[in-house]
Amino acid sequence: MALIPLTAAFREDFVVQLVPVEDSDTIATVAQKVAAHAVGLRVAPRQSPMQVIFQGKVLDPEKKVADVPLSPMDFVEVRYADG
Amino acid sequence: MPKLSRPDYYDLTRDMNWRLTYVSEKEAFPPELAGDDYGIPPAEWWKWDEPYKLTYREYMQNQAEKDTMSYSVKSAIARSHLFDQVDAGWKAAIAAHYGAIAIPEYQASFGEARMARFGRAAAWRNMATFGTLDETRHGQIQLFFPHELLGKNPQFDWAHKAFHTNEWGAIAARHLFDDMFTANHALGTAIQLTFTFETGFTNLQFLGMAADAMHVGDVEFGALISSIQTDEARHAQQGEPTLKILVRNGKKAEAQRLVDVMFWRSWRIFCLLTGLSMDYYTPLEHRSMSFKEFMEEWIIKQFMDQFRDLGMDTPWYWNTFIDELDWYHHGLHLGVWFWRPTVWWNPDAGVGPAERDWLEAKYPGWNDTWGKRWDVITENARKGEITKTLPQTLPIICNLCQIPIITPANPGRQQELDPYVTEYGGRRYLFCSEPCKWIFDQNPGRYAGHKTVVDRFLAGEIQPPTLEGALAYMGGPHLVGGRDADDFAWARDPVLAGTR
Repeated sequence: MALIPLTAAFREDFVVQLVPVEDSDTIATVAQKVAAHAVGLRVAPRQSPMQVIFQGKVLDPEKKVADVPLSPMDFVEVRYADG
Repeated sequence: MPKLSRPDYYDLTRDMNWRLTYVSEKEAFPPELAGDDYGIPPAEWWKWDEPYKLTYREYMQNQAEKDTMSYSVKSAIARSHLFDQVDAGWKAAIAAHYGAIAIPEYQASFGEARMARFGRAAAWRNMATFGTLDETRHGQIQLFFPHELLGKNPQFDWAHKAFHTNEWGAIAARHLFDDMFTANHALGTAIQLTFTFETGFTNLQFLGMAADAMHVGDVEFGALISSIQTDEARHAQQGEPTLKILVRNGKKAEAQRLVDVMFWRSWRIFCLLTGLSMDYYTPLEHRSMSFKEFMEEWIIKQFMDQFRDLGMDTPWYWNTFIDELDWYHHGLHLGVWFWRPTVWWNPDAGVGPAERDWLEAKYPGWNDTWGKRWDVITENARKGEITKTLPQTLPIICNLCQIPIITPANPGRQQELDPYVTEYGGRRYLFCSEPCKWIFDQNPGRYAGHKTVVDRFLAGEIQPPTLEGALAYMGGPHLVGGRDADDFAWARDPVLAGTR
């Protein structure tokens, strides 16, 4: 298990942030970890699934960070699927 | 000695240029200190002519009068309680100003002194000698005034302290000013400090700030800024004659690059200081215009006129710059407020009902974009969930401007959220904007060695690796500032907030 510091932004928020994830995390967990620094703080929460976008593609939520693979300081965007 | 009128002797005493014979021009004016001469013959530089003539005797008399006036105002105000009655938002504005500007003013005297020795014309060196004395005075006076306020508020300790810390805003200002004058050559300093930054931005900003200070009732700060502005108006005029010589000798592209680099960099820091101050910190009843209106009416118009008059072009990123007028400083404000433990002043949220009406009028659509972000914050504040109004991680910082990487808040205007990237020397550099990346790519060797606060955090240089560790690393700004200026009155009591 290794810590991977990602750069991440939540669409509708306004800032790119440092978000540490584990390489064993699923992409769904990455979405939660990124959202924790935006949703409910500056972005109003709503009932909608979230997506993680990396290099222009929506990642499979079941996939592991290490299997994508995401490397330190890679950028991911997280957004509500209905956004 | 017969008393001649000034025009009869001025040029003779000023123009002490001569052809060098004992040393080469390159030995006397090494490029790393003087700047590239671009092959322009020495005699061409000697045509340098300042628009504002001044003798040393006149200079000393003027300066003595200015100091007498400023210090007498200060002395009179010290006996009153005027400062205690000033709005909390205004106090935030001047605490931020002093920390970001007082020491750089002193450092600007190094840049002026470099021009006073390595400027390629005697007239230029003469002007820069006055400039050196000006900037020394500006450093001193802007440390003395806040020092006298220490008993009222420890934040004013940061007038001197900020630049000696690793606080992120101080790093951003230091990075800019090192590039602009502390570590710049004479030619670059003339065009980037005096033409681009002082003529373009601060001269007019200081006029506006002095007027605002008087409106707010901060007579002391108004007198101080007026005193400084009159110096700036004079020594800022070193840039134009320097630029004219470059353009006249076929070096427009080189001049344009120097201006383009520093216009963007100045814009970035200007938003951070002036944008927040004008649109959020200055009490509503004392605002004469919005930051965008100020930029359009004064800065942009002036630059456009100068570009046209001097045969220069607007910078290649002009459309990006114009677009940012609508959103960039709003993002910086939200970021500074949310990450407020990292700044030495108490940021004023400035989003009570009346203030929001004003923001919507000045920036149509504000309520639907930035307002929505503030709605969530306001709701959390009303519920007493203050921890939700504070950060739990660090923002990513631009490897050029050293300011957090932000985006518009309107999803419709959020195109690509990805930072701009350059790979250089085996390291990845992230940028907030295309112009910041362009500036880095122009001269990577100049900037590549610097690490942002986040780079240092990830490299293990900040211990413990927590937000608390980061705050300690930054010199502990939260120990004197970092609280909401109005203690959330704007959120808890919107009616009260609307009438403040």
